[in-house]
This record gives sequence, structure tokens and C-alpha cells, in this order.
Amino acid sequence: MDINFSDADNHFRQEVKDYLENKYPKHVKEKQNNGEQLTKQDMIDYHKSLYEQGWAGYNWPVEYGGTGWSPTQIYIFQEELGYANTPTILPFGLNMVGPVIYTFGNEEQKKRFLPDILEFNTWWCQGYSEPGSGSDLASLKTKAVRDGDHYIVNGSKTWTTLAQNADWIFCLVRTETTQKKQEGISFLLIDMKTEGIEVKPIITIDGDHEVNSVFFTDVKVPVENLIGEEGKGWTYAKFLLAHERFGIAGVPNQKYSLKLLKDRTKDFADDDLKKKIADYEIELSALEFTELRTLAALANGGHPGAESSIIKIKGTELQQRLTEMYVEAAGQYILPYEGPEGFNSNNTPASNVSDFSSQAVSRYLNFRKTSIYGGSNEIQKNIIAKAILGV
Amino acid sequence: MNLSYSDEQNMLREQVLKFCESDYTFDVREKIVESNYGHNPETWKQFADLGWLAVPFSEENGGFNFGPIELAVIFEEFGKALVAEPYLANVVMSGSVLESSSNDLAKQTITRIIDGTVQVSVAFSEANNGYKFHDIETSVDDGKLNGVKTVVLNASFANSFLVYARNNGNPVIYLVDAKAAGVSVNSFSTVDGQNCGDVTFENVDVDESLIISNENDATQTINVMLDLANLCLCAEAVGGMTASYLKTVQYTKEREQFGQPISNFQVLQHRMVDMFIEAEVSKSLLFKAMLQLDGKDDEASKTISGLKAQIGKSSRQVGQTAVQLHGGMGVSDEMSIGHYLKRFTVIDALFGNRNYHLNNFSNL
Repeated sequence: MDINFSDADNHFRQEVKDYLENKYPKHVKEKQNNGEQLTKQDMIDYHKSLYEQGWAGYNWPVEYGGTGWSPTQIYIFQEELGYANTPTILPFGLNMVGPVIYTFGNEEQKKRFLPDILEFNTWWCQGYSEPGSGSDLASLKTKAVRDGDHYIVNGSKTWTTLAQNADWIFCLVRTETTQKKQEGISFLLIDMKTEGIEVKPIITIDGDHEVNSVFFTDVKVPVENLIGEEGKGWTYAKFLLAHERFGIAGVPNQKYSLKLLKDRTKDFADDDLKKKIADYEIELSALEFTELRTLAALANGGHPGAESSIIKIKGTELQQRLTEMYVEAAGQYILPYEGPEGFNSNNTPASNVSDFSSQAVSRYLNFRKTSIYGGSNEIQKNIIAKAILGV
Repeated sequence: MNLSYSDEQNMLREQVLKFCESDYTFDVREKIVESNYGHNPETWKQFADLGWLAVPFSEENGGFNFGPIELAVIFEEFGKALVAEPYLANVVMSGSVLESSSNDLAKQTITRIIDGTVQVSVAFSEANNGYKFHDIETSVDDGKLNGVKTVVLNASFANSFLVYARNNGNPVIYLVDAKAAGVSVNSFSTVDGQNCGDVTFENVDVDESLIISNENDATQTINVMLDLANLCLCAEAVGGMTASYLKTVQYTKEREQFGQPISNFQVLQHRMVDMFIEAEVSKSLLFKAMLQLDGKDDEASKTISGLKAQIGKSSRQVGQTAVQLHGGMGVSDEMSIGHYLKRFTVIDALFGNRNYHLNNFSNL
């Protein structure tokens, strides 16, 4: 064991800093640092800049165009990105469907989909939850019926993040009604332009439009868009979920937000707030090293399993606590609120903490979702109880 | 000791409850919030017709001479229905300041608040003074009022402002017309669907006739107002917590996952029990605070600080758990449940948050 970084690691860190200094798109950087909302094009520009750097597949194997980086390199990469307050790398293509395709897809699917995911030519979204199937995901009802060379898909998905921007959706669909509900599920890739797909916005309590309902009416999907075997979708779904939970803790972003909170409150923080921040920071270190231990195990050939549930629970709890401290620090100045887009410059409240305050409450409300999505924290505890404690 | 509401108080509760159930459903509320900063003139007219705008005022001023208990009853019901009308800003806060005044202008203003034709907001808070409400820079020199007040509740609809300022260093409260030369309002919607604003006073002419509260009692007037406002907010939070746990119980009984209502799961049952307990202990402390304030007990201010601190913790827990147990629906704006969480967040942030009141409590 050794907690120090090698010279090679330090050199690598400098490379990441160089990218952030010179190639990270300036317009994205500016908006991020002003707390402005990014457009679809901004997100595309950012991801493409990572691709051009050769880093889009930062956690992919080399054979599929990834970097093949060591866990330490991935850690350094994410840490530097976090400190630079870059946008979150969209997980739907790179961390979700990508690994499913290169692990379970056929050669043709790999050729067809992986390059566009890396290059961010396709924006993916996730068709998992349904109105009647949240925590009990395996009870999903969206049906895919085989008809010659196609499946005909009918049903609906919900809480679909950024479906309004998406070119493709990966869906869990029911291809068979079986005794055991997990057995009749298949994993299908669907072009969002296909006739019969309708996307309707869901506005969340922070006033933002991030999630959607997606409705499928007689949607024709070619059979070659089926991943792996028909009826084995649940296996791929679980594989994906374990990967999803892994990045969910957002430790680097939390470190950045923590630094910002300390900076913004240093002139007025009292002992109570300081102690709360300290308590949070200690737990964040514990989370970070939990993640590092898990990464180390992965590097030795393991798969993310129930351990990722610890990271999901702790990570989201800490994210939520951080947003609470922002709200507390902002005090009464959280009241003026013009929605997630913030104030326009002619119309900013008289308090010089207004931007901070407006974002504080927006994030606080938005982050309530984190203990619900990706498998609610209650479900994660069930997983740990069953898979680790064996009860 | 008697901890039962009087028949009159029960009737008042019944009246507010009936109104909310028939005329102020969540759908109606959402339309008002989306279209007009939480205020509907027709609803306000109904409040006036029902006599609610007269509740805390003395009989001499045309009111019912009701006290903190009746106000708490109204606010508890308002809290259940997420009422967004500017009752706190007008009737409770401005009402409290005006009622304490011997100026005839105050009496005339009260009459017009009671009949619903005039709205008045207290402009006391300033940018970056945190919760140090007496730490103000707005001042009057040579008859000219200058300064900026922020987070002024209901600023969009106020016809006049009760401005907390310093005149030669002494605290004074002036009544200033919103249309007076030099007054400008920058309005914002608030996170909970109401409105507030920055109000700027630039060389506004003021004279002695506009003084509502002078150096002998202006500070005390603001403190009395804050105690009453905090009590009302806490009563509203208690109502909101009650509604939150009831709605959550209902939802979990209806929502099926794993082939059964999710209310069958013990983990969720215990969390709902915790919500219920937090609502009940908060209500108990509300009783203590409203009775002490009603009885003009010396301890009342301290108890209200304790109550506000307790509510900050309890309502956050209840609000967050309610959202969590509703799953995705909990963060969807079209469901009422997330709006309780928003209101709890604002209630905690107003007039001293939990942290402020814990300190206050330990120092009093």
C-alpha cells in the first residue's frame, strides 16, 4: 500500500490540467463558473472536446477505443475535472449503454454504436422506470412483440433524463410473460426518431425540465437492435445498474462544491456551520476512500457489486447534506427565485449572495432525487442486507 | 390549565378548513401561483368577507381582538392547504406594527386592510445583514429617506410599506406609499410560489406625520412582530407536517410494488411513524408557545425561538421523508407533496433559521 502518487501519476495530472487550461471549451467553462444552464450544444461541445483529447472512454478498455487507464488515473482525471467544475460527463452512453454493448453486444452492434457513443454523435437516454415500476423495476410492462424482422413496442417509460435531447433510448421491455418476472425481460436499443414515440416533459420541484415521460405506440424496432439474448435483459440491466451506482456519488463535484461553500461563507460562517462543514468533509473523505478501495478491487479483476450500493447511499446522502448547508448559509436570501435558470442581470436581488442563494435552493430541491433514482436508497439497503450480510 | 380549544376557536378552524376544501384545492392554488405570484384578488375578497382580515385587530380598530391562538388555528389550516395568499405580510406583520401605533394614519390603514382594499408590507430586512434585523443602514436625513430593503414579503402587491429606518441614528418606522416619488420595487417570485422584492428608497420625502413607531418603541415593535410572525409560520408548518404524513400514508397504501402496497414494508412504516411523531411534538411546542404569547408570559420569546428551531428540524425531516416515500412522484411539481417541502424550507429561512434560533434560545 502507498498513498502517494508516482511521478508518472503526477505527470498525468499535469496533462489533465493542460487540457482544462487549453482545450476545455471556453464558453462552457464560462457558463459553468457563472452557474448558468448549459444548452444541448454546450454539452455536445464539451463531450466532443473530451473525445478529441482521446479521453471520452476514460473508463473503457483500449480495444473499444477507451483509454485503458488505471484506477489511479481515472481517480486523478475525475478529481481534476471536479476541481475545474466541468459539467458532469453524461453517463447514459459512456457509462451505461456503452459498457453493456461492449460486454454483451455482438460484433456488428459494437461497430455500429460504440464509435458514435465515444464521439458523442448520439445522445442516449435510459428507458428503465415505468409509472407502475419504480423500485420493483422487474415488474415492468412495456411490451415488445416479435413480428418478423421487428419488435412492436407498446408502453411507457418515465423519469427519462434529458429524453428531449436524445437520439437513442435503451429500453428494458417485456418480450414474454413468465412466472418469474425477471425472465421475460429484454434489452432493446430504440431510435428516438421512430414513428410512435412521444416525449412529454415532467417539471420537477426545482422548476426544471430535466426528466420526461416517453410513450411508445406500435413502435417498430428492428430485431438487430436487441442486445444479447431475448429474455436475458435483466442480467444486463443489473450489470448496468451496478455501473450506474458507481459514478453516482460524484465525489469530485462534491469536493469542488465544498471548496466553494467554504470560500463563499468564510466571512460569516459561525462555529455551527464550520462544525457541520467539518463533519461533512470527514465523511466525504471516508466515502472517497471507500470508492478507492472498491476501484482497487476492480483493478484486480472484480466486478462492481453490492459494494456500489454503499457508495450510492453514502454518496447521495452527502450530496444532499451539502445542498442543505448551502441553503442554511444563504438564510433568508433563498426566497427570491426565478427558477433554475437564475436571475437575468438587470433583475438581481439586492443581496450579494443572491446567485449563490438561488442556486443553493435549486440544488437542494433538485438533489432530493438522488436518494430516489438509480434504485432508491431503501432498495440499496435491501441489496446490501441480502448480498453482503446474507440476511 | 386547559389545553382544549374553545367552541369559538373550533368554529374558526372549521370555517377555514371548509373554505380550503371547497375553494382552495391544490389545482386552484397552482393556477393562482402560476398566474399571479400566489395572490388572487377574489380569494382576498373572500377573506375580507369572511372577516379573516379583521382577526387580530382590536375592537376599537374594527377587529375581532383575537390573539395568537386564533392566528395559529388559521395558519395551521393554511399550512395544510398550502395557502399562498399574503395574510402573513398584511394581517399579521403589518397588522402587528400598525396595531401598536397611536398615529391616526395607522388606524385608517388598519380599516382598509380589514376591508381588503389596501395591502401593506413591512420593509425591515436588508441585504447581507443576515438575521441581524436591527442592523440597518436605511436612514432619514433632512426629511429624505434612503436605503434598500430586501426580501420584503408581498412587495409586488403592497400599496405601502412600513419602513424600518434610522432617523439621526434612532430607530423609527415610517409608513411610505409605494407610489411616492423615489420608491421603486424589484419583484421576484419566491421558491414557494409567493412573491417578495427589493424595495429601494431614493430621497423619498418623509415627515413626522408618517411615523408609525418612534425611537422609544420601534425596536420593540419589530421584535413583537417577529415573535408573532414566527409563531404563525410554525403553526403553518405544523399544518403542513400533518398534511404531509397523512398524504404519505395515503400514497403508500395506494402505491403497489412487489405485488403489494408499499405501506406493508416495515421500513416505510417506521419512517411514517417518525413523521407523525415529529408533527405531534412540534404541535405540542406550538401549544406552549401560543399559550405563553397569549398570556404575555416573559418566557414567550424564548419558547418561540425554541419552537422555530424545533420546526426547522422536524419539518425538514417530515418534508424530505414525504418526498422520498413518494419516490419520483415526490419530486414532480404536479404533486402537492414537494410543495410542502418547499414551504418548510422557506419557513425555516424566514425570520431566523434553526441555527439562528438555537443560538438565540441558548442566549435568552
